[in-house]
Amino acid sequence: MKQTLMGNDAIAWGLVHANVDMVSGYPGTPSSEILGVVQKIKKQLELPIYAEWGTNEKVGFEVAYAGAIAGKRTCATMKQVGLNVASDALMSASYIGNLGGMLLIAADDPGFHSSQTEQDSRVFAKFARIPVLDPATPQDAYDMVKQGVALSEKFQVPVMMRPVMRVCHAREIIEMDAETNFKPNEGKFVREVSRWAGVPRDGRLRQGHEVLDRIETIKQYNWEELLAPEFAKCKGGKLLILTSGTGYAFAKETLDDLGLKADIVKIKMPYPLPEAKIREEFEKYEQVLVIEEPYPCVEEQLAHPKLHGKNTGTMHLIDEMKKEHILKAFQSMGFYAGANIYEVPKLDLGFEVPARPPALCPGCPHRDIYYAIMKVFKKRKSIYPSDIGCYTLALSQGAIDSILCMGASVSMASGFSLADPDKTVVATIGDGTFFHSGIPPLLNAVYQGHKFILVILDNSTIAMTGRQPTPERFHQAIDIGKIVEGMGITCMEHTYSYEMQDNIDFMKTVKTQFESPEQKGPLVVRVKQFCILDNERKDDWVPGIFAEVDPELCVACDQCTTVYKCPPMAYNAEGKIEIDPFLCAGCGGCLDVICPTDAFIVDEKKTEVKS
Amino acid sequence: MRYQVVIAGFGGQGVVFLVKVLALCAGNRDIPFLGTENHGMSQRGGAVSCDIKVGDFSNPVIDNGQADLIIGLDANEALRNLHLLKQGASVISNAKEAFPALPFEVTLVDANAKALNNEFPIQGLNVFMLGITLAKVEGFPFSVEEVKQAITQMNAKVAQQNIEILDMAMEYAKSL
Repeated sequence: MKQTLMGNDAIAWGLVHANVDMVSGYPGTPSSEILGVVQKIKKQLELPIYAEWGTNEKVGFEVAYAGAIAGKRTCATMKQVGLNVASDALMSASYIGNLGGMLLIAADDPGFHSSQTEQDSRVFAKFARIPVLDPATPQDAYDMVKQGVALSEKFQVPVMMRPVMRVCHAREIIEMDAETNFKPNEGKFVREVSRWAGVPRDGRLRQGHEVLDRIETIKQYNWEELLAPEFAKCKGGKLLILTSGTGYAFAKETLDDLGLKADIVKIKMPYPLPEAKIREEFEKYEQVLVIEEPYPCVEEQLAHPKLHGKNTGTMHLIDEMKKEHILKAFQSMGFYAGANIYEVPKLDLGFEVPARPPALCPGCPHRDIYYAIMKVFKKRKSIYPSDIGCYTLALSQGAIDSILCMGASVSMASGFSLADPDKTVVATIGDGTFFHSGIPPLLNAVYQGHKFILVILDNSTIAMTGRQPTPERFHQAIDIGKIVEGMGITCMEHTYSYEMQDNIDFMKTVKTQFESPEQKGPLVVRVKQFCILDNERKDDWVPGIFAEVDPELCVACDQCTTVYKCPPMAYNAEGKIEIDPFLCAGCGGCLDVICPTDAFIVDEKKTEVKS
Repeated sequence: MRYQVVIAGFGGQGVVFLVKVLALCAGNRDIPFLGTENHGMSQRGGAVSCDIKVGDFSNPVIDNGQADLIIGLDANEALRNLHLLKQGASVISNAKEAFPALPFEVTLVDANAKALNNEFPIQGLNVFMLGITLAKVEGFPFSVEEVKQAITQMNAKVAQQNIEILDMAMEYAKSL
């Protein structure tokens, strides 16, 4: 049956059609839609599937992995940096293996579209010594999900699939099973202590040998089932192109665009590679080029004098694949002597198109809370570590000094407070990230008595990745305030107010408390907020008070465009600030405090219509 | 047939809706296509563009000098993506002011002014611009009926309103 689908939809259908009983994971672009779509299919077709978010990737992985030990077919989904969090579990899971099947989906993001690193999960699979499949298109991804689950059962080890953003977020017509006849697998834990609880040294050494033997077996499978049929189609000649994932699609199209012919091999399983067998094929060619991203994973396994790629400086080393990179590689290898058809003359518009960097949404309460923090805790006397989430965008308000990885705001607040005790450290973290990995560093700060302020921006959703629920939303009894109090410290509570002075007054009480002699250790503050895109809750919060500018009062002082930074505010042709009526969310946040001349006034007409 | 379209705007304008509509048009006729989205971390407000390549392609990204058409929901976002166009390509854009002289077939409409004038709700900006495209771009690969069918498949509840906006835009385009 043909369906028009996005890659992540295709992956979700693949999981259902592969009879995967349990899907667990943590949201992260570009992987986030997979689990959500499984949930939708499950609901529509009333299937007996467990499809739920874990509190972080490690938890998500372990839930799915235990299911696979007990004979179920399972899957864990996450983005590439999420795999770092789950890596402790993955490394041992490779030694221990499973009786059922487990597919680990780690979605990569070459080009840093929405990730802090460009790391290559195929290399992680190699590090963990588990096989990895690399789809080139959404269709490949659908097919490889089924293949990956079957391979995991066959070889009794977790199998990774690594789609990149251009697979997850690509759309095409997918040929998929016409019918969904979901067959659940029986879950039955079989006690085998020496395997499921293998300990150092003997138990794990034995399993280590098993890993090595297994990898050799999988190499042979890779050759016989996946690679030999591909090489059988090849003719030999000047150039052999080896590709992994989207490299295939980019290479094929570049050849088409340039009117060139060369043998292209799609390497579906870029680790483990049967190196010797592949190198034998090189004899039929003058040169070999590897096209893969983002790391030289295939290239480093195959190292050979004829081989060109990233390590020979032939292909780009960082940032997303482009056909132009391949064209240039062809030029440098003497395979193409024509012009660079992807180079276009620069059009002179007579002006620079202004940048439109990502910004907090109009009406987002994070903006107001950061404004209040900055107003009370002066920049010169403070350090502002922050974390991963929408609120990271408060960078543009100058309200963030450091970002490392999930949960690091809290432990870095500890470190900064020790290293530079003269400054007040004000850390910010969202509720999703606090649950993910903010709790252990807070425990650490309490028991070591590190003195800083931690502001938990609690909008009860994982907003950045598409508003997945957080534990407290799902289960009302999980209360952040009680978690903090359970550590033996108080949690100051504030409810976001669209009247800015309320937020500022609250931050002043935080400052007073922090500076009082009885304050020892961390001071935790929880601000109850909402997400402006959260249709379930936003109407309870947004007052529907729309703003306009009194041009007589606006003195073009830049305060709103540089400090408050709400996207609808921009200068008009008369040099006065104007509010884009289509963008204003009616939050009323700008009416108080932020304009030194009070030029923001209520747009009575619009406000009346809305109310 | 090979036809490459860039849809450019910013978060919240419904850029992705349009690429889904065109994807359905291609899918319904069983023409191969590849689409992709280009956006950073922003939920709303940052630059967003989508590529759709209809015909025999293998990767979804549009390279410099390759696109046949840009549909700009915002003037600056259309201008930001001009390098993707091939010679003689079409530009359909929402814009307040005229563009500088460009080597393309340019059609501009001040759709924001029409929305402010309550001629259509701003949420229908994307469909309005698609209507202008259908009326003005020769060689656009999909018919009005195909687009209407896809719009209905996307969201039956608001299909009637969207189709009215599409018709209104096509009628208005006659005056351009």
